[in-house]
Amino acid sequence: MRKILGVLALLPIASAGVLAHHGWGSYDASKPITVVGPIQTLKYENPHALITVKAPDKVWTVTLAPVSRMQSRGAPAELVAVGKTVSAYGYPSTVETDEMRAERITVDGKTVELR
Amino acid sequence: MLAEAPQVLIALEQSALGAAIRQSTWAYPAANVGHIVALTLFAGGVAAMDARLLGAFAATPPAAIVRPARRLAMLGLLLMAMTGSVLFTAEASHVAMNPVFQIKAALIALGVLNALLVARPLDAVLDQAAAFEPLPARIRLAALASLLIWTSVAACGRLIAYF
Repeated sequence: MRKILGVLALLPIASAGVLAHHGWGSYDASKPITVVGPIQTLKYENPHALITVKAPDKVWTVTLAPVSRMQSRGAPAELVAVGKTVSAYGYPSTVETDEMRAERITVDGKTVELR
Repeated sequence: MLAEAPQVLIALEQSALGAAIRQSTWAYPAANVGHIVALTLFAGGVAAMDARLLGAFAATPPAAIVRPARRLAMLGLLLMAMTGSVLFTAEASHVAMNPVFQIKAALIALGVLNALLVARPLDAVLDQAAAFEPLPARIRLAALASLLIWTSVAACGRLIAYF
């Protein structure tokens, strides 16, 4: 009984630590896509920066990384400014039909890893 | 912004405060870190308190463990509410409509209700219970419920990002 209680007592702590930051769980990694086009809007905000991209098929909402990661990986707001042409490689959302999450983006010949 | 969310939550998300949280580089991650640090305080307090009520550390009179552990848990809960409000405000409409968040909110209400309902009988027990003395079934049941509820709350909190 004591041992069981000890394990139970640790559970709340264990369950909090197991998983890392925001998941890629609602994106389909088996169907990678590349969205290319001009950036129409930019929200350089937490928890994730967002751009909309006018691709040939439709306007995609592309989820990027948290602001601090964007900056540390070399993607300040100026790099993903409205009007620039971006190529975003990533995975389509399984929830939203026009949304994808970018694994990496290429702008101005510069490729930035976002995962 | 999620259009089908209640108007008040859309207004909260679109408020100057919501925008300030999103546009600051560090406010959101700082609240995120603070929320987890507060969770360790809260979970530590809850675990020590409930373990003692369930019969662990029986050589120590329950009041000597439960009362300080409960204060720690209450401090942790307060800090969690404060940091959680920051995280919620930034994405209020999305978070509020997230099914896992809704379960989490209901479980928090249940956990607080459980603690409030047992508070008075528990204090009476703590005032006179000695070391090694088995505690009433009602108290032990509430402690078990507390462990299960708060563990589930923590799991739901982490799972919001996945649903």
